[in-house]
Amino acid sequence: MIRRLLLFIFYLSLAALASSAAAQQWAPPTQTKTLSNGLRVIVSEDHSAPTIGICVTYGIGFRLEPEGHTGFAHLFEHMMFEGTPVSPKGVFDQVAESGGGFINGDTRYDFTEYIESASTAALDPLLWLEADRMKTLDFSNKNLENQRNVVEEEVRVNVLNQPYGLFYAIDLPGKAYDTYPNAHNFYGDFKDLDAAKIEDVQSFYEHYYAPNNAVLAIVGDVKTDEIFAKVEKYFGALPQRQVTPKPDLTEKVQTAERRSRQEDKLATLPALAIGYRMPPKTSHESVVAAMTGEILHNGQASRLYQYLVKEKQVATEVQGGVNWPLGTFLEYSGPTLMTSFIIYPANLKGDDVMAAFDAAVESLARTGPKPEELERVRTKMRSDWYDQLEIPVSRASALSHAALLDGDPMRVYSVPDDFNKVTADEVRAFAAKYLVKANRTIIDRVPAPKSASGAQGGQQ
Amino acid sequence: MKIARSLIAFLFLAATFTYAQKEHALPKELPPYGPLAPVRAPEVKTIQFENGLTVWIVSRSGFPKATVELVVRGGLAADPKDRPGIAEVLANAVTQGTKARTARQIAEQIQAAGGDLSASATRDGIIVSTSVLADEFTQALPVLADVAANASFPDNEVAIAKRNVNDSLRQNEADPTFLANRALAKEIFGDHPYSVVSPTHASIEQTTPTELRQEFARRFQPRQALLIVVGPLSASEAEGAVRKAFESWKAGQGSAVPETPKPEMKFVHSVFLVPRPGSVQTTLGLGFSGPRRRDPDYEAAQTANAVFGGMFGSRLTLNIREDKGYTYSPGSALRTYRQAGFFSTQADVRNAVTGASFNEMTYELNRMATVAPTETEMTQARRFLVGLLAIGLQSGAGLANQLTSYWVDGLPPEEIGKHSERLEKASPEEVAAAARKYFSAARATVTAVGEEKVVKQELEPFGLEVKQVE
Repeated sequence: MIRRLLLFIFYLSLAALASSAAAQQWAPPTQTKTLSNGLRVIVSEDHSAPTIGICVTYGIGFRLEPEGHTGFAHLFEHMMFEGTPVSPKGVFDQVAESGGGFINGDTRYDFTEYIESASTAALDPLLWLEADRMKTLDFSNKNLENQRNVVEEEVRVNVLNQPYGLFYAIDLPGKAYDTYPNAHNFYGDFKDLDAAKIEDVQSFYEHYYAPNNAVLAIVGDVKTDEIFAKVEKYFGALPQRQVTPKPDLTEKVQTAERRSRQEDKLATLPALAIGYRMPPKTSHESVVAAMTGEILHNGQASRLYQYLVKEKQVATEVQGGVNWPLGTFLEYSGPTLMTSFIIYPANLKGDDVMAAFDAAVESLARTGPKPEELERVRTKMRSDWYDQLEIPVSRASALSHAALLDGDPMRVYSVPDDFNKVTADEVRAFAAKYLVKANRTIIDRVPAPKSASGAQGGQQ
Repeated sequence: MKIARSLIAFLFLAATFTYAQKEHALPKELPPYGPLAPVRAPEVKTIQFENGLTVWIVSRSGFPKATVELVVRGGLAADPKDRPGIAEVLANAVTQGTKARTARQIAEQIQAAGGDLSASATRDGIIVSTSVLADEFTQALPVLADVAANASFPDNEVAIAKRNVNDSLRQNEADPTFLANRALAKEIFGDHPYSVVSPTHASIEQTTPTELRQEFARRFQPRQALLIVVGPLSASEAEGAVRKAFESWKAGQGSAVPETPKPEMKFVHSVFLVPRPGSVQTTLGLGFSGPRRRDPDYEAAQTANAVFGGMFGSRLTLNIREDKGYTYSPGSALRTYRQAGFFSTQADVRNAVTGASFNEMTYELNRMATVAPTETEMTQARRFLVGLLAIGLQSGAGLANQLTSYWVDGLPPEEIGKHSERLEKASPEEVAAAARKYFSAARATVTAVGEEKVVKQELEPFGLEVKQVE
């Protein structure tokens, strides 16, 4: 106990020395290892609380779910919680909760993650259970039927019964892209969810859920060497499998603005979603894109908030950014958008808002950010970036995503340095090149006129 | 001036940590839990300034950001009777200008420190907070201090804030969860100020900059405020910076915010229907009485809640989600304010299973009231709640929020340790007694947000009166 505490202070003073040398860097101790079956393992010690965070990220997301199977990657994610031949449905939750924690899962375009947050006491059983479901699953028809219902309720509660129904995340890419992987409804059409069979679950598992297509990250009050030994013990014997290679996901170049209009029977205020196609992911241009996105969208000091909400008063809410709202500017591998979601007053037209929006964007493309503005946003982005590295489970998540999508978990610590390299002129040039009408898609979503019966009900 | 140091001790060393008797057969090869490490509680330095401001400082090394949170007494429950919900307008506008800074300067200066300045109103207080880079902490603090002491409510900014709050209310009115909460609060709190969950369109419209300045002067007074700092700064460093920024905050002259009276809550076992045309789900809710945080059976009741619907392995979730597939999002919570506590359980269910879901929810409530938790349920709930507390303290902002809620409820920072100790000690008998006392379906107020026809058709067969409300 005391030794560990002293050791911790020692680490901190090293970190302090390092930070004065390499300006502003914060990098908690982190080590990596690859098992012979291809499973990549990352450990980051954090002794500030007697807790752990675990994340297993698999290199499969909804972008690659087969045609006719929209929503399947996410439905499959639910099936990962439905037990294995030796560990029936319910065991994982019981062990995690009785171990002072909880488990969860999350499906995105290019990965699916499984997370645990718990007391350090639960480390061994949780690792064992993760390894157990990397071996095989209990492919049960009954459980599939149950989770199909649960997922359809999830779609209802988040999409069909919600004002706006996530149109900025689901419908916008649908209009912005032309190929199935990038354009389809990732939450799933009910006819596809209804058609999913247990054989599909089995085949998806066999194609993608292999140790060599996964990254395991463990963060918390642990000793790195001990963790590597435990991981070897629990995961080392799992067989490597052939993983289906990723198809070409590139889209034909967009040549004209795409505009459409939708009616929303639940929303009370109109809203706009605007999506610009981003260039292919590269180390530097992606950072310039992210910074441009934040100059426009980050908080009350941002250009769009100041101009649309405060100065012109044509909007009440502005949110957005690169890859928003489905992850950070690094958490994808394939086409992505810079999205803006704007709620505007009922007495205005979408065109009024777009005129102000265009003026704000064109001004950035013309003159670029002011030096003090760029500095501010740089600082804010560094600060925001650290947020995801604070608590064990979210650091585990970030590290595993970077390992999987960028080939280097340590990227999460060098990103703030990358922000420092972006110049005002790069932002200006980026905005001028990419934030143009021919490269964007707009959906104007307005409240549907109330039907007679609806108006009656709504007048209460 | 009084300086006290409080060391919160966690006494879990004696607690055993083993698998209890199972409903689920556990795999033979599953390794056992490791030894349970005692939860390390934060050391909170408490200081009282001469102007009356209470300051709590937690010095934590490592993560390079600092959270600073200011909370003042006087939230929605302190609003004038003819201006319900004005606290929300006050919170929205308080960061929008001072005598020395424009709204834009405030936003930019906080952004330059790596933060956003957020302000929100709860029932019992208004919270203004930000998380910034620790290196920039001394730059951000004076901005927050300026807002706390000198917010000026410029006419043009108040006009924008009113419009934004009004539009945000309109948006909320499309959200079934908001409609359910609003209807429930109105039914169970009646005329008591806790019945107000948000402003009304009329109260927003009528609010003037002068009224906001008056309300600001009444509530933002150091003697009824707490400032919390959590970050990688030494306690003396943090204290020095806080003194520099906040010691000049003048003790208020006007009357303080009076204590909110303890409400007489009433639970009428009828269905209060909020029609929401176009709904493909019914948002079902049941509200019933519960303890305040300061009441002796709080932890026992919280444990009962975890067993009922507060964790994934709860009776409600296993039944209506994992067995029947009626819903994605079942749950239950014990909600506490300074002067009141109540339970609520809710689920969004597809229209066709509205009645079937209601049947299971009431069944599980009654089963909770009559069938004591098993040993497995007790262990799982207790470990889950203690574990969740430890997980909640992992982040600086999480710790600051926890401490703020204690202060608002009139509890000291030591409550973190005492609370977990009481969670550990709550016996199966006490948990069963709390369940008997609170979890009875016949004493629950029911809310249903959805298609009017569906709700009536599905719930009237239960023999309950369905009353339409807004």
